[in-house]
Amino acid sequence: MRLASSVFAVIAVSFAAAAWGQSKNLAPGFTSLPRGAAVVVMPTDIELFSISGGGVLEPKADWTEAATQHFKTALRDKKQKLGLRTLELAEKDADELTEVNTLHAAVARAIALHHFGTPLPTKEGKLDWSLGEPVQAIKKLTGADYALFSWVRDSYASAERQAAMVALAFVGVGLGGGVQVGYASLVDLKTGQVLWFNRLLRGRGDLREADKAVETVEALLEQFPVAK
Amino acid sequence: MNRRGFLAGGCACCVGGLVPGPAAAQAAWEIPARFARPDAGSDEGGLWSMMDREEVRLRKSPFSLRDPKLQAYVQDIACRLAGEHCPDVRVHLVRTPLFNASMAPNGMMQVWSGLMLRVDNEAQLAAVLGHEIGHYLARHSVERLRDAKSRSAFGMFIGMFGAVGAVGQLGLYAGMFAYSREHESQADSIGVLLMRKAGYDAAEAAKVWENLQLEIKARPDGDASRSPFFATHPPAADRQQALAELARASPAGAANEVQWREGVKPFLRDWLHEEVKRGQHEESLALLGRMIARSPALADYRWARGEVYRLRAKEGDLDSAVTEYLAAIAGGGEPPDTHRGLGMIYRARRQSPEARTSFQRYLELAPEAPDSALIKSYVEELRT
Amino acid sequence: MRTLPIAALFFLLAGCASVEKVESGERSLGERMLVSLDGPWNKVSAPDREPAVVWTMEGRPVDELLIYSGIKNEQVIHATAMGANRKNFAFRSGMQPDEIVAMFEGMLTRDGSTFKLVKLAPADFGGAKGFRFEYSLTRKVDNVQLSGLGFGTVSNGELFALLYQAPRLAFFPRHQPRVEQMARSARIKT
Repeated sequence: MRLASSVFAVIAVSFAAAAWGQSKNLAPGFTSLPRGAAVVVMPTDIELFSISGGGVLEPKADWTEAATQHFKTALRDKKQKLGLRTLELAEKDADELTEVNTLHAAVARAIALHHFGTPLPTKEGKLDWSLGEPVQAIKKLTGADYALFSWVRDSYASAERQAAMVALAFVGVGLGGGVQVGYASLVDLKTGQVLWFNRLLRGRGDLREADKAVETVEALLEQFPVAK
Repeated sequence: MNRRGFLAGGCACCVGGLVPGPAAAQAAWEIPARFARPDAGSDEGGLWSMMDREEVRLRKSPFSLRDPKLQAYVQDIACRLAGEHCPDVRVHLVRTPLFNASMAPNGMMQVWSGLMLRVDNEAQLAAVLGHEIGHYLARHSVERLRDAKSRSAFGMFIGMFGAVGAVGQLGLYAGMFAYSREHESQADSIGVLLMRKAGYDAAEAAKVWENLQLEIKARPDGDASRSPFFATHPPAADRQQALAELARASPAGAANEVQWREGVKPFLRDWLHEEVKRGQHEESLALLGRMIARSPALADYRWARGEVYRLRAKEGDLDSAVTEYLAAIAGGGEPPDTHRGLGMIYRARRQSPEARTSFQRYLELAPEAPDSALIKSYVEELRT
Repeated sequence: MRTLPIAALFFLLAGCASVEKVESGERSLGERMLVSLDGPWNKVSAPDREPAVVWTMEGRPVDELLIYSGIKNEQVIHATAMGANRKNFAFRSGMQPDEIVAMFEGMLTRDGSTFKLVKLAPADFGGAKGFRFEYSLTRKVDNVQLSGLGFGTVSNGELFALLYQAPRLAFFPRHQPRVEQMARSARIKT
């Protein structure tokens, strides 16, 4: 995983024409980032797998390497479309943020599991999770007001798997071919509140190719709450 | 190595049989030049990238033992063994109470605290590290990788080198990705070669396995494969024989026991504590028995054995525990927990004055102990 | 091999079997324990934690309240499905507080996590003499550093305990007061 982070100033642009009210993806009371907000993009955690004939997930380092690069490029292009600046963080700084990053990953799992899955009654259907003050460590290091986290796990059916799928299809058994799961989350670096969260869970998408990676980034950042 | 295998091994195939004799193997093999980073698209390259990412995680992991002095010490030993390959070897110490060391194809080396607890001197550590470097120099893992790819669980292969202190995974894949007999034999040869070049006494290599066997034999089921090291390095029946032969061919070198003991002293108590907490009493007793035979005066070992007896609590164990604790105290420099252990036994036996004295001594020696409030309450209770 | 990707996929795809709301007010935990809740909790199905009943505020990947109510002599305190090779931890009626804590430690570290006792002191719990302990736990699967708080007592040979653990950053301090309140309110019927 290459540890480059970038800070970009969000200039008022909209890249989704759709009008969203209080959607499932937004924390109560939050609609969009204010103009001129600074958002730090945390290093994306991506891993790609091949599904063998036996259904075993096999990590594919070269695919992951490629996907990480494609994802970064796609994100950079996105920022460029919005006319944004980027800054690099030292790897040493990223190390300092390990515990907050680990914490965020756990919270994101909880949100993906419950807010978009089996709900927790006490949350009353709202996106209401906060990492609290510890996120201010990110603010201190980067000067940003918000942080964007992303995580993708993607699996692709290997040739044997595809053959197995075809064979089993003939006897009426459906086999999963491959799944793309991921999330993107936007966190307020003053309060730690998760302001926006998008979960990806689908059977398509391909991060192994640069052009298809762009599509994944678009899907992940669909309706990213930027002020018009 | 199970007893049956070791006895049956004899000399049936160790000299001039199917496997070339170790001395012969040494003459034929030369240390290769440093490895260049493989092409990212190749399978080796893919493995390398994965290892790089695992290494980043390892560096950040809370299970990583980050003491700069100890790390530098072990790194230095690994470096001298690796010779020209020194710049490519990166040592990571990991807090896991099991015997294991591994080296990934990208140069990342893991040394678990359980291994550092068990070796008596630098030479023994060098034997294990040299063996791992042997696998690295002879590129066994890449061969294994190509072999394993045809089996669908390739991804698990990474677990051998990655996942910090991954105990569970290694247990699961026992034997699946183990190095072959030929690989083991070659790594042993290379390890001894490297030890000699670095000035270590090669005779210590056989001792490491001898010592480990003691522990394994002590296991109620005698099952070697449950050791993480033996999950991936199946003990060859003729191995000790082969190592002894190799050592005979080399002039004696240094063992550096004193330096080693000094180097690990600050960590010994913690590592012993972790070993005891494993709850594998028979193995711990075998290990401690061996250590006490070497250093009868070291209070920490007596305390640890006392703890094991106290926790096992079989017939006669509590008496044994008391004996050990008292021996620790007699030796001097005993851990404060020694008095706590004594106090617990006395309290259970309703020997109130002795219990109170012991607990009070514990509180004196360790006023900030986590359970000081509980122990104080026991002292109060025992007054009445 | 990182188990996390697989675990994460499992979390995302399989989901929890069920979640129930636990309303505030007087609640029975098992046959003999009663607590008084100042606010609602979420009860989640957690077969891997049996015989404990598990509650959470933020979701199990973040925080867990393990409720042990009326654990009997020689009862194993965790699910035994996985890891046949691993040691089992069972409660014995004669156990002292330090032994009970060691038993929980063993249970919590079966997956390779590391446990460190921070404090152990006598305390009333459920209207009887018991103990309270604090610990830190580094979770193996994802390296999250958790803080933990436990209360326990043995009554009529049965174990009653509450363990709450959450990330030491933000989450543990946030919910700790409620757990303390719950523990204070606990009553055990003799």
